[in-house]
Amino acid sequence: MNNNTVLELENISYKYKNDLILNKVNLKINSGEKIALLGKSGSGKTTLISILNGTIKPTQGEVKLFNKSFEELDRKQKSKITTIWQDLRLIEDLSAEQNVNCGLLAENNFYFAFKNLLNISSFKKAHKYMKLCRLHTSIYDKKIRKLSGGQKQRVAIARSLIQESNILLADEPFNNLDPKLITTIKNLLLENVDKNNTKKSPKTALVALHRLDLLNDFDKVIGIRDGKIFFNIKRNNLKKIHLEEIF
Amino acid sequence: MNKLKLNYTSLSFLPILVCIPLGYQLINNIHFGGFKLFQDFLISAFNPKIDNEIIITVIKRLNETILIGFFSWLVSIIFGAIFGIISSNIFYKIFNIPNFFYRIIRFFLTIIRSIHEVVWGILLMQIYGINFSIGIIAICIPYIAVNSKVFAEQLETIDYKSFESINQINAPKFSSLLTLIWNPIINTFKNFGLYRLECSIRSTVILGLFGIGGIGTSIFLSFQTLNFRELWTYLWSLAILIILSGLIFKKIKFNTTNKILSIFFISVFFITILFSFSYFLYFIFNNNFENFNSVSSLFKSSSDLGLFDFLKLVLETIILSLLSTGIAISLPPLVIGIFNNNTSKIFIKIFAFLLRLIPTPVILLTLLTFNNPSVSLAALTLGLHNAGITSKLLFTNLDSQDKRNYIAMKSLGISKKTSWLLGLFSQQAKSYLAYCAYRSDIIIRETAIVGVIGSVGLGWQLQESLSSFAWQEVTLVLIAYSSIAIVGELINGKIKNSLT
Repeated sequence: MNNNTVLELENISYKYKNDLILNKVNLKINSGEKIALLGKSGSGKTTLISILNGTIKPTQGEVKLFNKSFEELDRKQKSKITTIWQDLRLIEDLSAEQNVNCGLLAENNFYFAFKNLLNISSFKKAHKYMKLCRLHTSIYDKKIRKLSGGQKQRVAIARSLIQESNILLADEPFNNLDPKLITTIKNLLLENVDKNNTKKSPKTALVALHRLDLLNDFDKVIGIRDGKIFFNIKRNNLKKIHLEEIF
Repeated sequence: MNKLKLNYTSLSFLPILVCIPLGYQLINNIHFGGFKLFQDFLISAFNPKIDNEIIITVIKRLNETILIGFFSWLVSIIFGAIFGIISSNIFYKIFNIPNFFYRIIRFFLTIIRSIHEVVWGILLMQIYGINFSIGIIAICIPYIAVNSKVFAEQLETIDYKSFESINQINAPKFSSLLTLIWNPIINTFKNFGLYRLECSIRSTVILGLFGIGGIGTSIFLSFQTLNFRELWTYLWSLAILIILSGLIFKKIKFNTTNKILSIFFISVFFITILFSFSYFLYFIFNNNFENFNSVSSLFKSSSDLGLFDFLKLVLETIILSLLSTGIAISLPPLVIGIFNNNTSKIFIKIFAFLLRLIPTPVILLTLLTFNNPSVSLAALTLGLHNAGITSKLLFTNLDSQDKRNYIAMKSLGISKKTSWLLGLFSQQAKSYLAYCAYRSDIIIRETAIVGVIGSVGLGWQLQESLSSFAWQEVTLVLIAYSSIAIVGELINGKIKNSLT
């Protein structure tokens, strides 16, 4: 592992019941790299992301973040990873702004969580990211279950952005978004921005995708099929034959 | 109509067969000495006593009932929520605590829940003497355990993916817990809290019959002196209280986005916890436990209760539960189905309301005026009271149901009764049976009340053993009660799961 590596998977396998979902996966993600993860549905993309963010433990192998295994990391270090889930995983009974504020739970104390639920916390930061995600002010205080698919998607993205983490893992983050919005959201996700909306520092990102037309902003492409990494190449080297292997 | 629905429908009627042995014993036990009393009791319902003196007593007694009911509700709902949280698996997942502890807490709460508040009340009165706060404590003990089960069940419905998502944010554990449980707790309180207040008031009335105070004590005293006009004044005033509280509850809407209201509720939450702990300490250190000086006999004395007698009492309690459950399940659909017209419906609703309103000991004492004490009489009492409750649910569900099937069947020339059975009731049978399974848990616990009054089962033995300070017997009876209730709850849980 070189000093530049932020996330590393060593010989990772994951078995669910009798099915081998991931099979001896090795992967290194360097700081600032933007990686697109391609593969069919059920190929193991979501499981790979869940292992990378520590949600599920691999049956075999080790996950390292900043050269330390997950067990050795404290809460603050773990919170440097943010995830956008394919199924969004928002809390349905909370409002959009409360859900976005949940992204700040890691850097705040219990009192903040309490105030958030009582609607007496500051939503200034949440509103900033919701605005960046082109969410209209009228939906800020609406319960998640009352929002459309696209609005929910952007709330989940805003919740991830508010964490201001340097490592982004995203599973199909552009679902439910119209083409105009995709470009805006893609830029937001792949670049860190400061309060003046100008680029700040490079962000490390691993994004699971279905759409090949979105690959332009990525440095590398990883192809996964049946729980195995078929290719891990620079985007410029991606050829039709690679795609035929995984789709 | 498919075969499966027909099965649920027939299962709803089948338990009425309990009426055959029950009726046989009741007919054999009839005596004619008390028919006049029974007649007076019924006539007095239309001619309650109303004068200044009794109105002042009613207000005073209702005040006491509301106070005991309200405070026991407040404490039990708050501690119920706390115990609900620590007995839900989400708590253990967040804090990475082994599930072993969660099973211990749940088991402990199941035991506490299995003993009816009347039993707790009688037990505590025997130890500490009659005291206003004993009523609150006696209700709170099982109610905390009951409420905790409801809260825990709601917390089990939290989407595991939301937990994973919050967990992945790596927030402090308490922040994650609070964020995840907040809405399920608030929603449970909204949907269930006010109903539990009504239950608390009913329990206060029942405990009053055993001397705790409030309107229940007045009801019992007027029954003992055969002053039925006065008795009906108390019963009607109780009815007005229940109807009024029901109307008020319907109007109350909790708005958790109202900041001032939220802060008020949170203040009440913490003040109640603080006050409860302070009172608990005061209670422990300021009671001289005069009546409990025979605690050592729990380990020394041998019980006079023979094994055969004891097993007979256990069997009686089980039979009592089964017979009562049979009546509570089948009587409402049978009566509603047979008398299926608008006028009859009104009468059935009034009758069901009266069955719910009149405390079971009063129903039993009334029936005892013309029937000897027996398991069947106790079962009839408990069955009728609970049929009043199950019929309310059935009416509510049937009234809100889509009636197109029923109308379509009638238009085909099918009789009104058959159309009701197949077009209306059959759609409700499954959920009705699921509710009845839950109700039968309560019936098992309530056998204690009718047992004490009606000289049957373990309830009677408990009263006898407590009166003679035979603590070993008391312990034995409580263990038996608890075991029956726990086994019953397990069986009903399986039935409920298969029905939902």
